[in-house]
Amino acid sequence: MNKNITAIFLTLSLLIALFFSSCKHKEEGYHSLTDKIQARSKHYKGTSISLEKHIEGLNLIEVTENEITFSIPTRKDQIKSFKCTECHIKPLKEMQNADIKKAHWNIKLKHANLEVMNCVTCHNGNNIDKLKSLTGHTIDFDKSYKLCSQCHHKQSKDWIGGAHGKRIGTWVPPRVSKTCVNCHNPHSPSFDTKWPARFNTQKVKERK
Amino acid sequence: MSRIDKYFKLNMNSATKQKTSGGCGCGSTSGTCKPQNQETAVKTTSCSCGSDSKSCRSHQEKSPISDEEFFKGAIDAAIGDERKKDGFDQVFDVKMDRRNAFKKLTASLLIGAGAVSSCTSIVSSNESKEKSQIDWEEQFKGNYKLMGDNEKKATVDRLVRSYQLRTGKNISMSSKNAEDDVLFGYAFNISKCQGYMDCVSACVEENNQDRNSQMQYIRIHEMKDGKGFNFNEADDNYYYEVPAEGHFYMGTQCFHCDNPPCVEVCPVQATWREDDGLVVVDYDWCVGCRYCMAACPYDGRRFNWSKPEVPEEEVNKTQHYLGNRMRKKGVVEKCTFCVQRSRAGENPACVEACPTGARVFGNLLDPDSTIRWVLENKKVFRLKEDLGTEPKFWYFID
Amino acid sequence: MRRFKVFKSLVKDSLNLITQGSKKYHLWMAFLTLTMLIGMYCYSIQLEEGLSVTGMTDRVSWGLYISNFTFLVGVAAAAVMLVMPTYVLNDIDFKQAVLIGEGIAVAALIMCLAFVVADMGGPAVLWHMFPGIGVFNFPNSMLTWDVIALNGYLFINISIPFYILFRHYQGKESKKKVYLPGALISVFWAVGIHLVTAFLYQGLQARPFWNNALLGPRFLASAFAAGPALIILVLAIIRSFTEFKIEDKTLKKIAMVVTVAAQINIIMLVSELFKEFYAPTHHSESAYYLFFGLEGKTALLPWIWTAISMNVFATFILTFHKLRNNLNILYGACTLLFIAIWIEKGFGLIVPGFIPGPYGKIAEYTPTGIEIGVTIGIWAMGAFVFTMLARIAIGIETGSLRYKKKC
Repeated sequence: MNKNITAIFLTLSLLIALFFSSCKHKEEGYHSLTDKIQARSKHYKGTSISLEKHIEGLNLIEVTENEITFSIPTRKDQIKSFKCTECHIKPLKEMQNADIKKAHWNIKLKHANLEVMNCVTCHNGNNIDKLKSLTGHTIDFDKSYKLCSQCHHKQSKDWIGGAHGKRIGTWVPPRVSKTCVNCHNPHSPSFDTKWPARFNTQKVKERK
Repeated sequence: MSRIDKYFKLNMNSATKQKTSGGCGCGSTSGTCKPQNQETAVKTTSCSCGSDSKSCRSHQEKSPISDEEFFKGAIDAAIGDERKKDGFDQVFDVKMDRRNAFKKLTASLLIGAGAVSSCTSIVSSNESKEKSQIDWEEQFKGNYKLMGDNEKKATVDRLVRSYQLRTGKNISMSSKNAEDDVLFGYAFNISKCQGYMDCVSACVEENNQDRNSQMQYIRIHEMKDGKGFNFNEADDNYYYEVPAEGHFYMGTQCFHCDNPPCVEVCPVQATWREDDGLVVVDYDWCVGCRYCMAACPYDGRRFNWSKPEVPEEEVNKTQHYLGNRMRKKGVVEKCTFCVQRSRAGENPACVEACPTGARVFGNLLDPDSTIRWVLENKKVFRLKEDLGTEPKFWYFID
Repeated sequence: MRRFKVFKSLVKDSLNLITQGSKKYHLWMAFLTLTMLIGMYCYSIQLEEGLSVTGMTDRVSWGLYISNFTFLVGVAAAAVMLVMPTYVLNDIDFKQAVLIGEGIAVAALIMCLAFVVADMGGPAVLWHMFPGIGVFNFPNSMLTWDVIALNGYLFINISIPFYILFRHYQGKESKKKVYLPGALISVFWAVGIHLVTAFLYQGLQARPFWNNALLGPRFLASAFAAGPALIILVLAIIRSFTEFKIEDKTLKKIAMVVTVAAQINIIMLVSELFKEFYAPTHHSESAYYLFFGLEGKTALLPWIWTAISMNVFATFILTFHKLRNNLNILYGACTLLFIAIWIEKGFGLIVPGFIPGPYGKIAEYTPTGIEIGVTIGIWAMGAFVFTMLARIAIGIETGSLRYKKKC
């Protein structure tokens, strides 16, 4: 009789031990991923990996918008014929004559429509080395994103946060992102369709 | 008996072990043991030898050790005491935990194999002998997750050397562990994806995937506007100019869940979640049962149904043991968030390649990272949230 | 030492016994051997080329091998339906059949293990699963539970009959207090092995076709219908080919077990059909694919409808005493039931679980010749093992195989 009771007791305790050892609670004890992220980032100290070799050779300027600081590539050194005033000495008013050739004839403006946009919406007629905002304030070519954000406020907010546009460099801070004009041609910002990079012949049989 | 004590013995482990086996294994009475004890008491400090503490202490003070002995002791500590033990003890006198038991088994097999292979083959060249030696050692190594850093380095060196012997080319393989304070997260902008599939191409090239079966970790699904995420009617096999009218695109891959069902079900723990959140596979430990593939709700895993082949000139030579090194047939593989890149501070190949910037990657624990900004400011969601897998891959729209 | 001598002579006598026999016996064994060789050849191709020679793909990653494995676990578990009445309830009518039943269990388990090894991508590294030298992911992975359950059951089903036969071989009676605890354990263990195998599938939240509460009980019901059906057929064959006496009473009692289990199986099937088709959700797509086809993909339709009709028809026949007690009709019904449940539990369960895939893709699965070759090779191996075991057991039980002490 005693033997039976001992056997039953042992079996029960074994089962209970098994049950608890296989309990599916995560080792760190977080109930969800967001809890885990909140808890573990409290003591965030930063990583030791450096970004240096990825941004070698790039000329960057730092911008701070919406309390977020990041770097973008400079623009002025990328434009072949900057500065405009090196060649164009006369002010704009005097250049708008019938006998001088049509200016920048190869730039097609495909950006909104003529009711909303023309050349002088962005370009500063008084200082052709700079751009100008809707209210007439001067904007430097390196900070041309300020122009875009006048109309495209939502995209601008996303870009500043990091959800829009491409990041140069990597996930390691500090952040270096492309600016608007690194992807979008300001005179014709939309993209055409193109062919995909690959076609799978193997998976055709899975097609419904 | 601590490991330090070994250094202070003239006769290292063999004395201790001979003593114990003489004492217990042969069944001799303690009387016959004592002369041995007394004789070697001068040389040993082990308290398990049964000699009284006085003789132990006196030995410690008495015998300085020479450089050679220290060197030997260092090797013994690094490789283990198998070399000095006799065969009986190698099998019957092992430490309790599985890892050490396995280490000793490997070591004894290595020694046996080394002896056998080096002295039995007369005709084969040194190179092929070395190759078979490496193959033998690789066949019997343990689970990568349980290896110490030295063992990880050793297996990486073997793999690099094996590749060199086979093809004459050099590769670099890393066994870098997870960084502290890093938890990788990924976000995908559905409004931005145009279906270009640059990510797929980059992934295949970066990760040395099998070209014959056109294995791809990433699938891009083309869906009709207005029907939501209707996967049943999605097409992941399109080939025309994109983006096509009236459609949108989104991509799936392994989501590196924080509660991965694949990790739960693996019978040999060949797949696990690392500390930085990546769910990885030890390709040499996987037995190919494919239970993880049945358990994954997101079609994240791929199986090598045949020997994977990559053209020699397309092999990516910067590799990681858990990432894009050459796999063999019969094992499971999957997206690793390009562990060879992300642990080196680079972005995964798909993030790098996407021309629209639809893919956002970063450290979830860094409060200033872009991935955290996306999670906090955009409307994000994950797939099959109700399954409780906690994927670390979010989707969002502009 | 003496036991070892007896064992040696048992092995020698058994070998003598199984290598002699009638022409039909030799033909049967030769046929099985030939099939096994074909299977081995196919398996060698699979080892060489990899699993790409099978029809399995990344979408449907388990196919014919695992289907057969699942079904055979059920057959093995069914031996308990004979063990329990014999040893626990002391029902004399079952006593003759129990050793045959356990022999079937052993053969079925060996087949299960063979199917698992055939399905693995890396059989050379199977040692990775052994606790101690490898890593055994217990208790998280249900596969490890299954490994323990199946191997333990194999051990019980080898050791208990071995003990009994060993005693009978020496002309002695087997002691109840030795075999009874093992027999008791095996009753619960048999239920356990099939539940654990069901849990392999039931626990996957990624596959809604399997992730329901009824899978385990359904497995048990179908196992207790198919297994004893096979036992009845085997006993019928043994009756006609050897002098082993099996009474009609025994067969009829086993038939009762089959009938009840088959009826419960039908009830569970109805319950599953109701759940899937009364208010279909996205999760019912697999059931739609299985029973009605999806988007024009109808490969499994002929299989499942044959299986269901055979199942219902056989159960219907077995329900009527008059029909069931007619032994020829019984054999026919048992054959139908066995094949029907083989289809239902194999193709009708494993393959639809993967179709449609996680993103709705339908990739149909067709086994290749190599797969079929390996499968029938393994079935032949099981039949071979069982024939050997049965002949030895029958020899010992009928008294023709006895230990003769050397004077």
